[in-house]
Amino acid sequence: MKDATQKSLDELLSELPRDIVPPRHLWRGISGRLNATPRRTRPLVYALAAGVACACLASALTWAVLHGRPASPAATLAARAANFDEPRNPRYIAARDDLEIDFRERLKLLDPATRTRIEASLEVIRRAHEDIRKALASDPASPVLEQLWESTWHDELDLYDHVVRATQPAMTRT
Amino acid sequence: MLQGAGAMDAAAEPTELIAAAVGGDMRAFEHLYRQFSPRVYGLCLRLTGQREAAEDCTQDSFVAAWRALAGFEQRSRFSTWLHRIAVHSVLARRRGLRIDYEVPEPATGLPDRADPAADGPPLDLERAIARLPDGARHVLVLVGLYGFSHAEAAHALGVAEGTCKAQLHRARGLLTAALGLEKS
Repeated sequence: MKDATQKSLDELLSELPRDIVPPRHLWRGISGRLNATPRRTRPLVYALAAGVACACLASALTWAVLHGRPASPAATLAARAANFDEPRNPRYIAARDDLEIDFRERLKLLDPATRTRIEASLEVIRRAHEDIRKALASDPASPVLEQLWESTWHDELDLYDHVVRATQPAMTRT
Repeated sequence: MLQGAGAMDAAAEPTELIAAAVGGDMRAFEHLYRQFSPRVYGLCLRLTGQREAAEDCTQDSFVAAWRALAGFEQRSRFSTWLHRIAVHSVLARRRGLRIDYEVPEPATGLPDRADPAADGPPLDLERAIARLPDGARHVLVLVGLYGFSHAEAAHALGVAEGTCKAQLHRARGLLTAALGLEKS
């Protein structure tokens, strides 16, 4: 058998173990981070994405203001959903689905022009979401993309929430 | 002799576990962690040369992987995808902890030998790798140890492919000199 000095560098490299068991139990820390519930705030550096979505929200907000239905400060479904950190969290998705059902029902109460503008806004948000998802697939470790991904989920929820709240009096009357 | 990173793990991937994890099953993801963490940790440890940094990078890698899993479309192998995340995590941490990486540190946490009973490589080789300049070490670890192609390593490290080849040549020269090996 050769000793180390007789072996070539390639032989020595090939003998190194590729796998090394982590010396500490890291999974606990990982699962803790995955289960963490606090929602991270959006840094200013990501304001661009938020700005795009805000522009989309403008139509819904403008509509609400023009119709004299200021947003209530009460906790909403969107606020509840915002307590979930992960868009893939089943509870988050369930809350989002409930809100979307309400949103679709309330949307029918709006005049066609307003409805068209809101649906166009929603489409812009969803396109942005899909573009970011594709970018994340090729660069999954990017914190910028990760923040953008989350912000589009939240902006979609915000749009739903504004429409639901803005149409609340009309629903009450019926 | 060098394999592409995509061909690095010849064994079939646990596709059912991967699909379950993509669907949000955290227990499936934990199983994936059990299976893939030794390779990811080994990669991070060799890239950083620091045990604590490698542990942090391993954690960052799996957290990032979980969050990005919904977008994983299986156009590449899961292991390849995960290793790319690990490289990104190491480079991102290195940018944030530049000073730490400028202070050489013994490569604690590295095994003495691959297999003590099999006359494996000496610890000196691990130490010599850990003491290589960052650029040379990164390329040697990715291409020479973990089977990345030059194109894959260059893309992961954000350098030109020619730079990658030059760094590998440099790393091999430095290791050969450090270990007192004959030039081949």
